[in-house]
Amino acid sequence: MRMGVCLALLTLLTGCVTHTEPAELFQLTAESPKHRAMQTRFFETPNEKELLSASAAVLQDLGFQVEESVREVGFLRATKERSAREYGQYIQQALYLVLSLGKLLNPVDLHQKIAAGLVTRPLNQEATRQEVRIVFYRVIWKGDGQADQQYIPPGQQHMEMIRDPDIYQQFFAKLSKAVFLEAHTL
Amino acid sequence: MTDKRCVWGCLLIVGSLLLYGCSTPPTPQDLLAPTDAQLKIRSIQTRTFDVKDRNVAIRGVIASLQDLGFIIERANESLGLVTAARFAEPNYYDVISVTVTVRQDTKERLTIRANAIYNNKPIDDPKVYQNFFASLERSLFLTKE
Repeated sequence: MRMGVCLALLTLLTGCVTHTEPAELFQLTAESPKHRAMQTRFFETPNEKELLSASAAVLQDLGFQVEESVREVGFLRATKERSAREYGQYIQQALYLVLSLGKLLNPVDLHQKIAAGLVTRPLNQEATRQEVRIVFYRVIWKGDGQADQQYIPPGQQHMEMIRDPDIYQQFFAKLSKAVFLEAHTL
Repeated sequence: MTDKRCVWGCLLIVGSLLLYGCSTPPTPQDLLAPTDAQLKIRSIQTRTFDVKDRNVAIRGVIASLQDLGFIIERANESLGLVTAARFAEPNYYDVISVTVTVRQDTKERLTIRANAIYNNKPIDDPKVYQNFFASLERSLFLTKE
């Protein structure tokens, strides 16, 4: 009974999502320059087509499938689906199960779809420097769970932007090797 | 006997008169004409820029949207069309989607129109578009160096 009340209160708290005004979402935030630095590299080459084609090849190498490409504006969109299971989450699930005396089974991440959006752009009139900017984000589907008597069905979805600088560094390292050029940061 | 037929006859006539209300009203001639609200929203969603090259403008739009944290969904150079979306972070349940079109006005000028939607409702707050165009201006005139 008490457990049920506790769980009910916890689920009520999930309704307290913060609301951002649309006008604010069209303004640069304090983190914008940091994200831009993480997602962008410069290459000293006049050949934008080659850079775009090499980027597609690197994404393919990383297991992505290029879904959309527009050469004239240097745009590429690629996705890949993978398992999203993590050991840490299973350990956490087992811990919660034990601590709640068998009442709470947390849904774990099961499946994910990772997407990448890449844009190349010439930086000066003579087009001797190109800028490459890529953003990674993912959609995650969760499994099923149990909260006291309430069954949580599988398929709960959430999305997140990938903000780990390591992943971007890896991508640009591969791209740099593919075009035999050095990737300069801001 | 005639009374019964009389009653039925009257009921038929009344019934058919009532059915007359089910006819569709004539289509008003100005159904698709621009309303005042439509003209107002068009003016807040549109800006002209003194940029000659349409390709540079489209790339500027894409770069500016990426800076604002948008994910580019579609881009079409020949139509001058860019579609992008972003989450209303930190809340990942609400989505803002924006479609931007770039069109040649005169040889020296381009018209850029941005159409923003919050989940499934159009945004008609002028501040939103002001912020977007401020960011776009910054992005367009930075590449001119």
